[in-house]
Amino acid sequence: MILNDLLGLDVFDDHGERVGSVLDARFVIDGRPGQTLAEARLDGLVISPHSRHSYLGYERMDMNSPAIINALLRWMHRGTFYVRWEAVQRITEHDVHLRNGYRRFDARLSAAPGTTS
Amino acid sequence: MSDLTPPPRSAGRVLDAQLHLLDRTVLDRTGVPVTTVDALEITDIEVDTPIEPGTPAPVITALLSGPVLGTRIFGGRPPRSRLERIPWSDITDVGIVIKLGVDGDSLDLTWVERWMRDKIISRIPGGRHDPE
Repeated sequence: MILNDLLGLDVFDDHGERVGSVLDARFVIDGRPGQTLAEARLDGLVISPHSRHSYLGYERMDMNSPAIINALLRWMHRGTFYVRWEAVQRITEHDVHLRNGYRRFDARLSAAPGTTS
Repeated sequence: MSDLTPPPRSAGRVLDAQLHLLDRTVLDRTGVPVTTVDALEITDIEVDTPIEPGTPAPVITALLSGPVLGTRIFGGRPPRSRLERIPWSDITDVGIVIKLGVDGDSLDLTWVERWMRDKIISRIPGGRHDPE
């Protein structure tokens, strides 16, 4: 599967209510050891209720300048959250469905240890 | 967003596909740029089929590169057959650039460049050595 097909898809909860779009996919390099790097495992999805595209990652990083860009991008991505792979119930060609009782996490990279630049 | 709790800790490095992988320059073993990352290939997810709890998460199998200029402007993506693979096992580091542990000449995606070098450039007088 090509990951890019997943990005931008609408995301629905178990009641069929749209909760946002897939903004990004977060991987963790902690899978089976390889020759140099371990496997990169899909840990979860970053979901934005108001935008299908990420711009520079302001909503996920502790950047705050220039102030006007920061304010605009944070407003566009207000309500962005993170769900783990375990919360994904089904993926179709057009959307992603989450399980009953899925949990929302902080999407900021500073909240996730081991972050790279 | 700030009122949400952080996700559980993971032991490994965290990479967001769009922020840390897509569009990054790829350097071969000798530091020569070979391409940029246009797409990522992951292990298959059964489309339209319920994912059972406990199903192992997909992993990245390859970085993909290909003719994406048109699709970036007008949307969509090139057919899978037009995208060249760089296996994840060839990658040695992910940072500002992505570093490979193999020579660019060993990759299928550089065949056009190699063909141009061997069949055309090398037949031009002076084309077999560096400029003096």
